[in-house]
Amino acid sequence: MNTDPLEALLREALRQEVSSLAGSLGGLEERIAEELADRAPRRGWIDGLKQLAAPTRAARLGQVAVVAATAAAFLIVGAIVGKDLPLVGSRPKAESREAMLRATAENELLFVLPALHAEDVSVVGSFNDWEPTPLSDEDGDGIWTARVTVPPGRYEYAFVIDGRWWGQDPLADEYVRSFGEYSSVRYVGGGGDGV
Amino acid sequence: MTRWLLGILGVLGVILASAGIAGRAEIGLADFERVLSAIPVTASARALTALDRALRQEGFPATDVQRLFERLLATSAAAPDKEAVVLTIVAALEDDIPVDGLLNKAFEGLARGVSLGPLYQLLQQRLRILVEVRYLLFGKSIFRVSAGTTTSAGASALPAGRFDALLSQLGDAVGDYLESGGSPHDGQSIYQNTSARLTNLRGSVLVPADVDLVLGRVGPEDLTRVVLAALN
Repeated sequence: MNTDPLEALLREALRQEVSSLAGSLGGLEERIAEELADRAPRRGWIDGLKQLAAPTRAARLGQVAVVAATAAAFLIVGAIVGKDLPLVGSRPKAESREAMLRATAENELLFVLPALHAEDVSVVGSFNDWEPTPLSDEDGDGIWTARVTVPPGRYEYAFVIDGRWWGQDPLADEYVRSFGEYSSVRYVGGGGDGV
Repeated sequence: MTRWLLGILGVLGVILASAGIAGRAEIGLADFERVLSAIPVTASARALTALDRALRQEGFPATDVQRLFERLLATSAAAPDKEAVVLTIVAALEDDIPVDGLLNKAFEGLARGVSLGPLYQLLQQRLRILVEVRYLLFGKSIFRVSAGTTTSAGASALPAGRFDALLSQLGDAVGDYLESGGSPHDGQSIYQNTSARLTNLRGSVLVPADVDLVLGRVGPEDLTRVVLAALN
């Protein structure tokens, strides 16, 4: 079985998410664990973070690969869990987009960010007037999370990791450039017949 | 029986009085007056007139506007720069332009530590886009009306809230496209970005019929004209 750090972190984060929904999702945890175990080995998360800061063309390609790999991991989970787990990938296909809309029917934004050595992680965005909402990592595994209840709509946001802004969340629906920097965007709700 | 009725009426009175007090606890003109004088804003009379009118309109984000002014007050920028940002919001209110998108950009700019000069320029551009988009909607016979107003045949009269939501999202989509480095001459790309935004918001903040209405009447060439007019 592959045991690289990203695998372990994702597995633990997903285990916690699924545990919170265990009452209605019989056997789901095992299915997710099997799916993740079957995936091919990938570049380590630490290496990915190093490449994010590197300026070369090769590094930029690596950056794309890291983002794509992370998004793919969550897409796999999204495909399995369907409507019951609010995790989606970047620029989802139509069917996973529909899954996301169902998952966010309760108008909740779930932020999940692996940041292994961070001491302070928060999210700023249009849902909180760009004032920090802290993410928590209570078990110290490097996976920072926060849940925010919002009305249906479109939300721009960026993570602030130890004071540095990072606006390219792999779980975003799209990105925009704002003041010369990237912001992530997520859509919440929708699919109904009216407002 | 009479005692019971008096008791019920008494309880209702207390509830209504509490609601009244709570209502007065919301943002009022005096709150704006206090922060504007603290900035200070020299054209405060103009600003207060616009804010007083806005406070009487449904959907006005008074708390957010007040919060923006408070944040401007807290910055170390020069007072004229702060006033320029304040008056951009005021100008939008005077012209019945929805300010949600402008407020969001202002909050983001302040949080990112952007200087008030560039922030003002960007807000001005966003405001010009919103104005041009509204002209476009009017030109396509899509109007903002109050309840009970009649319009001519072929015109689509939308309630103020729905019209403002459409205008705000259209303007933001065009503004985001430009700020992301999109070409003002590439109407097809502008249209695709705008269409995607409206479609994603269909059924959440936008009524599906309104999205269909706009996408059915507005084309890439219209949006090119909007962008070029806003930039000139």
